[in-house]
Amino acid sequence: MSGYTLADLQDVDERCRLIANGELGFDVPEVIYHLVAPEEVYFAAANGLPARYSSARWGAQFDDAYGRYQRGQERIYELIFNTRPVHAYLMDGNSLVAQTLVIAHCLGHGYVFENNEWLGAVDREIMSRVISAAERIADYMGAYGRDRVEDFLDACHAIAIHQPQAQLIRKAAAREPEHRSRPFDVLFPDEVSADRERVAQERTALRSRFPREPEHDLLSFIEANARGLEDWQRDVISIVHTEQSYFVPQMRTKILNEGAAVLLHQEVCQRLFLPTDRYLEYEQLNSVVMAPHPARVNPYNIGINILREIMRIAAEPNDEERELWSWAGEVEPFDQVRNVLAAYDDEGLLREFLTPKVCELSQLYAFQHLEQDPRRIRVSSREADAVREVFVAQHSTLGIPHVQIVDADFRGRGELLIEHIHDGVGLDEEYARGTLSQIAMLWGKPCTVQTIKGRETDQHTWFTGYPDGRSERYVTAPQ
Amino acid sequence: MTVVGDSGLPRDAGRRDALHHRERLRKKITEQLKQGIGEEDIIASGPEKKVRVPVKGTKRWQFIFDRGRQQGVGQGDGKPGDVLGPSGNSSPRPGEAGLEPGEELYEVWLDMADVEEMLFSELELPRLKPKNESEIESSRTVYDEIARKGPMLDKKATLRENLLRNAKRGHVSLGGIEKPDLRYLTYRDVPKPRSRAVIFLAMDVSGSMDANRKRMARLFFYWCVQFLRSRYDQTEIVFVSHTTEAREVTEEEFFNRVESGGTKVSSAFEAIDEMQSHRYPAADWNVYVLHVSDGDNFSADNLRTLELIQSLARVCSLVGYLEVDPGSMTRSHKLSLFYEQEAGDVAGFVHARASEDRELWPALKLFFAKDDVEAAVR
Repeated sequence: MSGYTLADLQDVDERCRLIANGELGFDVPEVIYHLVAPEEVYFAAANGLPARYSSARWGAQFDDAYGRYQRGQERIYELIFNTRPVHAYLMDGNSLVAQTLVIAHCLGHGYVFENNEWLGAVDREIMSRVISAAERIADYMGAYGRDRVEDFLDACHAIAIHQPQAQLIRKAAAREPEHRSRPFDVLFPDEVSADRERVAQERTALRSRFPREPEHDLLSFIEANARGLEDWQRDVISIVHTEQSYFVPQMRTKILNEGAAVLLHQEVCQRLFLPTDRYLEYEQLNSVVMAPHPARVNPYNIGINILREIMRIAAEPNDEERELWSWAGEVEPFDQVRNVLAAYDDEGLLREFLTPKVCELSQLYAFQHLEQDPRRIRVSSREADAVREVFVAQHSTLGIPHVQIVDADFRGRGELLIEHIHDGVGLDEEYARGTLSQIAMLWGKPCTVQTIKGRETDQHTWFTGYPDGRSERYVTAPQ
Repeated sequence: MTVVGDSGLPRDAGRRDALHHRERLRKKITEQLKQGIGEEDIIASGPEKKVRVPVKGTKRWQFIFDRGRQQGVGQGDGKPGDVLGPSGNSSPRPGEAGLEPGEELYEVWLDMADVEEMLFSELELPRLKPKNESEIESSRTVYDEIARKGPMLDKKATLRENLLRNAKRGHVSLGGIEKPDLRYLTYRDVPKPRSRAVIFLAMDVSGSMDANRKRMARLFFYWCVQFLRSRYDQTEIVFVSHTTEAREVTEEEFFNRVESGGTKVSSAFEAIDEMQSHRYPAADWNVYVLHVSDGDNFSADNLRTLELIQSLARVCSLVGYLEVDPGSMTRSHKLSLFYEQEAGDVAGFVHARASEDRELWPALKLFFAKDDVEAAVR
């Protein structure tokens, strides 16, 4: 350890809490800190939760990230888990000032975990399930071979993100077509009977359709309906599904959550360090955390800028803002932040509070990938409205395409038909085909997705993956 | 409000899974290599040889938007219209999975030695027998065997045993090393009878062997030579090119010479028969013959060819024939069909066909089958 003891850290936690709770009004739940080696921090970062099942998948991420750490290219300071009680990892070897920043930062996360409506919906007792799942998967690897289980896990992970809560799905019941009687029906008997016929046919078609309504939860549907899966495979599907459902709310509140954590570490550390010579060290760390990421967005940076904008609107709104928000100028700034932290996710936060001022502070721009070289981008606008439109669209689906299973007996052969509900942008062909052969491996039969070609909303295209790993593209609906 | 000094979890879990990842990668690369790897992928020569291997199957598949069409939001300088560099193709960070496509590993560089280890551990010169006592090699001390007892502890092998033993009991992790895990490097200095071997590599270089067929034939022989040199450094290799006539050539000529003309396969076997009986008597040598052709033989020559094969097969450990035949519409005149019909009962004669690169590896495996899977060989 670097010149401090566990008791020192405990003391830091108590002082931070005193400020957070007493001065700022954030009632933070208990956080249990673990002082651990960098290796462990990076491994937990690779798999997102401690004690998760062993898999080459985490090994790949760990290798990559820990390598960057060892080469001095990046450094994780803290990791926090949305469990009850909340657990956090502090990296051994960091200075006391860094640990103080991290502890204060964790108080922000802890507050959001406890109070945010999306994060509160998570199964916070997940650890016992994670541990027992790890044991079962190790058993399956022993019994059926590691490679086979790893391959199966990869296939599950390819579509695990497609869960309803990820996409704000409002399920509308499929309406059955019906013939409405009209006053002049009697004058057109032929047309009316033809219409009745058509409606009856459509209704029969609808009733024989499976699933009756499009299914957004890909893994659950496959687990429940795929033929030929062994028990261990169904168990693995449900493990991946359950664990993914823990991560989805975190993904949808990333900006909000990091904003809250930065707000608390800034407010607490300024009060702790300001008069001392340690302030400079703190400020250097803080600016590293806040640095913009080129060509993408640093959630810490945008998160804090939005929360501070909300505080400004609460304290010193202009006339226009008074019109827009009834609470503007009427509420304590920290109270308003807490209101937002309780009820919003990133999509709502961006939609409502990505003001021109935030765009300017965070130097945001909207961009378009170059068609000829998608690795390069062209700045398309710095206007807040344009940036907001792109940003909100991205966050409303967590940045992933929205797909749903529409037919589980496609072509009358028990194949799966998946529809891509596009927003004017099609799917990447290589990845779609690769993903489909993974789904086909789970389903046991060919799986097809219907999407559009590039941005041509009127040109459909179909990709089909086969259980043996092959895949095809079709320009007309496969027969 | 508690600070604990550790996580209560095994510290090496990350390293353990990283090992699993590398092992998985290794298997995928091996599979990939078998799909056919061109000479052009092997860069530089000598002991520093590196192989460039494009690795498929390491992508994290998921549905993503058409990359050329997608809009995004970035941070930093830049006016509308400015084009900025690679748009953050860095690997995903945890919690952001789903927002970025998975890490793509397009190609890796491997040492030739590693590649050979991966591939050639599956191959063996079949029916290799100790020959003539007088050829006993003076004893050498080589530390290359792993045993349960010995003078030098081999840590790597010990850890591997430990992992294996733990895995068998359901815990895939290192730890609790016990005596049965211990492995030692040990030496061999028992005088070993030299299993002298000669292999004749015969290639059809006639006019019908177009560029692609020649390339496949060369590729096949390239791996043969690599295999023999890495595993059997005492083996002599005799290179033979033939059209209607056959002659012994140097290795360089063998791989580079371009010829044209008709085909008489018997010429190659005649030349080999001649060289074998004079220079490599079967009493002293394990003899192997591999012939590669597109199978377009002068048909009146087929019977003569078969006779020679029959006589060679009696003294050889293996006579092999590979037909490289990309894109032929009909096989009616092909040598492979003739062999199928006529040579079914010739013991020690093995033939195979390859119409694309990825069929070369199975052929190699058929010829150099380990003796315990000899059932696959007639």
